[in-house]
Amino acid sequence: MKELAGRLAALDPDAGAALQVISYFDRLIEGRAGLESLVRGAAVLSGCPARLVDEERGVRVRVEADGLRRDDGGPLDPAWPSTPLTPDGPPAVWLERTGVSDGVHAMVLERAAAAARVVLDRTRGRAPEKAREADPASVEVLLDPSAAEHARRQAAVRLGLRDAAAARVVATAEGGPLVEAVPATGDSTPTTGGRRAGIGPAVPVGDLPASWAAARTALRFTAEGTDQDPGPRTVYADELGGLALLADTVGPTTEPVPDVRALERAVATAPWVASTLNAVAFSTSLRAAAAELNVHHSTLQDRLVQAEHWLDWPVHDPHGRLRLQLALVLRRLHRNAAR
Amino acid sequence: MTTNASAEAQGSRVGPPPPFDPELAAALEIIREQLPSSFSIEMIPALREGVALSEGADLDLTRDGAFAVEERTVPGPQGAPDISLLICRPTRAAAAVPVVYHVHGGGMVIGDNRTGVAEMLDWAQELGTAVVSVEYRLAPEHPHPALVEDCYAGLKWTAEHAGELGFDPERIIVAGESAGGGLTAAVALLARDRGAPALLGQVLLCPMLDDRNDTPSSRQMAGLGVWDRAANHMGWTALLGDARGRPDVSPYAAPARAEDLSGLPPAFIDVGSAETFRDEAVAYASGLWQAGGRAELHVWPGGFHGYDLMAPQAALSQDTKAARLRWLRRLLEN
Repeated sequence: MKELAGRLAALDPDAGAALQVISYFDRLIEGRAGLESLVRGAAVLSGCPARLVDEERGVRVRVEADGLRRDDGGPLDPAWPSTPLTPDGPPAVWLERTGVSDGVHAMVLERAAAAARVVLDRTRGRAPEKAREADPASVEVLLDPSAAEHARRQAAVRLGLRDAAAARVVATAEGGPLVEAVPATGDSTPTTGGRRAGIGPAVPVGDLPASWAAARTALRFTAEGTDQDPGPRTVYADELGGLALLADTVGPTTEPVPDVRALERAVATAPWVASTLNAVAFSTSLRAAAAELNVHHSTLQDRLVQAEHWLDWPVHDPHGRLRLQLALVLRRLHRNAAR
Repeated sequence: MTTNASAEAQGSRVGPPPPFDPELAAALEIIREQLPSSFSIEMIPALREGVALSEGADLDLTRDGAFAVEERTVPGPQGAPDISLLICRPTRAAAAVPVVYHVHGGGMVIGDNRTGVAEMLDWAQELGTAVVSVEYRLAPEHPHPALVEDCYAGLKWTAEHAGELGFDPERIIVAGESAGGGLTAAVALLARDRGAPALLGQVLLCPMLDDRNDTPSSRQMAGLGVWDRAANHMGWTALLGDARGRPDVSPYAAPARAEDLSGLPPAFIDVGSAETFRDEAVAYASGLWQAGGRAELHVWPGGFHGYDLMAPQAALSQDTKAARLRWLRRLLEN
C-alpha cells in the first residue's frame, strides 16, 4: 500500500493523472474541505511543498509533501510555478519546485486555485454584498462612530473585512448601507444593485463611519434619472468637491432660494422642461444636449427661449449656466431630504 | 421468520453510511481505481503479486543505519515448518530495548513480514525499540490455526531469545493492523492462556476480529470504501472454510468470539467510523473494559479501512499516527 504521491507518480503522467487530479479536488470541494486540505492535496499530488498566499484576505497556508503543515517556509521564489486565484490577480498558489513542470503540476495548480477560490468565497466572503447586507447588526456597529473600537473591529471580522486594506460604504435609496472592501490596485465598480446610490470614499476599516456619512451626502445628489427627475443615479462622494457644502445648507425645513422656486414653476409648466434644462446645464455643448435629448438642434433652441422666459434668467452665458446648475442641484437636495 | 428475513429486518435499522472525511474521500477515489472492485479467493495469487510489487524491496529497513536488519529462520509450531522473522535492532542501544512484535495485515490471505513495517520502524525510531515482524503462513492454503500458531511461535521464540537479541523480555508489545490486528489479539489470548510470554501491551489497528461479518457497520459500509463486507467474507472463508460464522469458531481464530477478556495486557485499539470493522473494534474495547481491563479506543471520524496507510499525509492520518505514538510513549514510560 503505497502513498498517494507514489500512486500518482506511477500513473500515466498525461490523461490518467490529470483526471485524478481533477476528481481529487472535486471531492474535496464536495466534502467542504478547508484550505489546509486543499494545499495538502497540492503538495501531496505534486510531491513538493505547496503554498497558498492571499494577502488581501491575510491567508497563508504552507504544507509539505509529507502532509505536515509548516507555514514558516521562507520567502517565495518567483521561479516556482504559481497561479492566481482570479485571472488578473497576483500569484496565490505556489508549488515549491524548480525545473521543468509537467502537465500534472499545471493541473494541480489550476485545480487547487479553483478549489481555494470556492473555499475562500464560502468562508471569507468574496460575495460580500449578500453576506454583509444579511448581517445588518454588524454593519450598524461598524458604521457607528460612538461604538467601542473593539466592537467595531469584531464587526469588521464578522463581515469579512479583517484583512481589507480599505473599504467603503455604499448608501442606497432603499435598504441599508453596504460595506465593501476596495482592492488596493485597480478600480472596482461599487455594488449598487441598480439602485440609486451614494458611494463613500475608500478608507481604512476603522474610518468607515466617515465613509458612511459621505456616502449619505452623495446619495442626496442622486436622481431617479427620469424625465421629471433627471440626473445621475450614482454619485461618488469623492467627486462632489465644494458641492458637498451645499448639502448641509439644505434641510427639510429650508426655504428654497428664488432660483429653485422659479425652476420648480418652469418644470411644472411643461413635461420636457426638467430633462431639457438638466441636459443643457451638464452637457459639454448644446449640440451634445440635443443629441442626449434626442431632439433637433432648432427644437432645443426654441425650448430654451421658452425656458429662459419662465426662469427669468439667461442660461446661455457661463454665469447663467452656473445658476442653472446650482438650481438643479439644490432641487435634488430639496427632493432628497437628509435622513 | 426465516434467518434471512431477520437479517434484513436488522439491516433496515442501519442508517446511511457515515460520510468519509473529505480528504480521505478524495484519496479514496484514487486508491479505489487501483484496487479490485471485489475480492474472490481465485484472485489471491494476483493480489499477492501486486502487493509484492508495490511494497517492494526498495524499503530501506535500516533507516540509514539506525537499525541492524536480519531475516532469521526460527522453529515454527510443533510439527510445522520453520518460520521467518524480520528482526530490526537499533544500532545505538546501550541497554536492553523494548520490542514491538509485529503481525502484518492482508486479510489473512496476502502480505508478508515487510507489509506495514514502515510504521513500526517509525515507532522504533521515535521510542528506541526494536521491531520483529513475523512471516506467517497464509490462508486458504493454510487454514486456521496455522496463521495464529505461526505468529505465536515467533513471539515465543522472540521472548525466549530476548537476552541474546538485546531485548527487554519484560517489555514486549504485540502490534498488528487489519488481519494482523485480529491475529495480534488472538496471540495475546494464546499468551494469556498458555502462561507465556508476558506482554506489556497489545496494539490492534483497525483489527479484523469477527468472522460472523454481520455487525451494523459491516452492513452499513457494504460496497463502500476498502475491504467491505464481501471482501471480509472472502477473507474469513479462506481462513475458516465452512466453519466461518458457525457457533463453534475458536477465539484464537476470531477474538470477537472470546467469552473471557480478562487478564489481557493493556490494549490500544483504533478504527475508522466508516469501515466494516468499526463495530467489532468498539465491541472488543468494551469487552476489555467490562472484564476489568485497560484499553484506549479511538474511532476516527470518516476513516475508511487502512486510510492511515493509503493516505498517510491526510490530517486524520497524521492525528491517528500521533495518537498511537502518544499511547506507546505512556505505556513505555510507566
